Amino acid sequence: MNLYLNQIGAIIWKDFVTELKTRELLSAMFIFALLVILIFIFSINLSIVKASEVGPGILWVAFLFAGTIGLNRSFMLEKENACLMGLMLVPADRTTIYFGKLISNFIFLSIMELFILPLFMIFFDIDLLAHLGPLLMVVFLGTLGFCALGTLLSSLSSNLKTREIMLPILLYPLLIPIVIGVVRMTGQLLEGIPLLDMMKWIGLTTSFDIIYIGVSIMTIDHILEE
Amino acid sequence: MESHENAMEVRHLRKAFGVLKAVDGIDFDLKRGEFLTVFGPNGAGKTTLIKILCGLTQPTSGSAEVAGFDVTEGNPEMRKEIGVISHATALYADLTPLENLMFFARMHGLTEPMDRALKVIDEVGLSQRRNDRVRTFSRGMLQRLSIARAILHDPKILFLDEPFTGLDLHASNVLKEHLKRLHDRRRTILMTTHDISCGLEMCDKVALQVQGRFAFLENIGNVDRDQFEAMYFDAVRDNQFIMEIGAK
Repeated sequence: MNLYLNQIGAIIWKDFVTELKTRELLSAMFIFALLVILIFIFSINLSIVKASEVGPGILWVAFLFAGTIGLNRSFMLEKENACLMGLMLVPADRTTIYFGKLISNFIFLSIMELFILPLFMIFFDIDLLAHLGPLLMVVFLGTLGFCALGTLLSSLSSNLKTREIMLPILLYPLLIPIVIGVVRMTGQLLEGIPLLDMMKWIGLTTSFDIIYIGVSIMTIDHILEE
Repeated sequence: MESHENAMEVRHLRKAFGVLKAVDGIDFDLKRGEFLTVFGPNGAGKTTLIKILCGLTQPTSGSAEVAGFDVTEGNPEMRKEIGVISHATALYADLTPLENLMFFARMHGLTEPMDRALKVIDEVGLSQRRNDRVRTFSRGMLQRLSIARAILHDPKILFLDEPFTGLDLHASNVLKEHLKRLHDRRRTILMTTHDISCGLEMCDKVALQVQGRFAFLENIGNVDRDQFEAMYFDAVRDNQFIMEIGAK
């Protein structure tokens, strides 16, 4: 078990050292998410539409689109110089590769989200601080589901020539249950409804998080193999 | 496992991609400490053979044991026994040699990753460049670092897939020296190459793979170098002809 965790830790460490040196992933995700929000700000008349009604959808569109860039980049690193082959040759269970990549994707996406949330609050003039705890939990559940499925599908699409196109085509339809859940929960939080009154949405999102992780554990061996 | 005399036992090994037979019924044994060089024209299935033996891809039929492990089972214990060097380096370009090797040492579960990484970096003569980004390295330096990655966990069996590709004369000689040292340390080596002189110079056994099959397999002592060279060039020419016909 120690070795298993150590191997996951090594993958996360390697991704962090690479990101510290290149600063490509976080900056690209942050700028893209910011641009998505700005485009919506300019295209929506907030004096007619209530910010708390359109805001949650826009926020999650920004997170997911930016996150897709991160996922694509994440497995591109492994394909460069056949590094994935090097990983496949180490005496590790293949799920360590999945969990290592999942956790590093999750951390990178969460960092980006923490920078975007205050900007979203300013641009849409919404007080997020009043609901910060529950909102962070919703963001956690949504990001986990996105990364769980996204990491699996980016490993699958990394072998394809058209990977940049295939990843969103495969990912977004399967993410619909999670997107519905987190957008509804974010909207209701902004309307002042307590999180405890949204148990069905929490249940839905958590269930899909677990399903995606479970399916990934069962299939990652076959997906990584050529 | 040490009692197992053969490092590799391959029987009727086949791998097809649709109608294309990349490996088409290969049989051979390789004893511990032996060095087999496999020659063959492009597209003969040499890389596919190595991928099967490393457990990177599944054969369509037949069986192969490496270090006493069935390659189809994907046993992590088998991966402790093997090291692979190919023309793709499997190194992270934005990390330094030390970071790359420490990463792979941790993935191999080595107890002192830093010490081991420093030792093999020294062995391949890259100590001066250990903190530079791999992206800045020449092809020869990359290949030396690739050797360091492959021998990091001190494997008993090494697979080398066209390791001389793109190397200049000096880098090629350095690589040869490393391979000789590994062979002297009784490491079992299977190498594919197009370089006749390097390949024949170092091996104990030589094979010629053509269209997925071993058209020739012999101990080096029984091989007439000129005859083998002629046979190899014939195979390459015929293969070129077949590929041109196929393209038309």
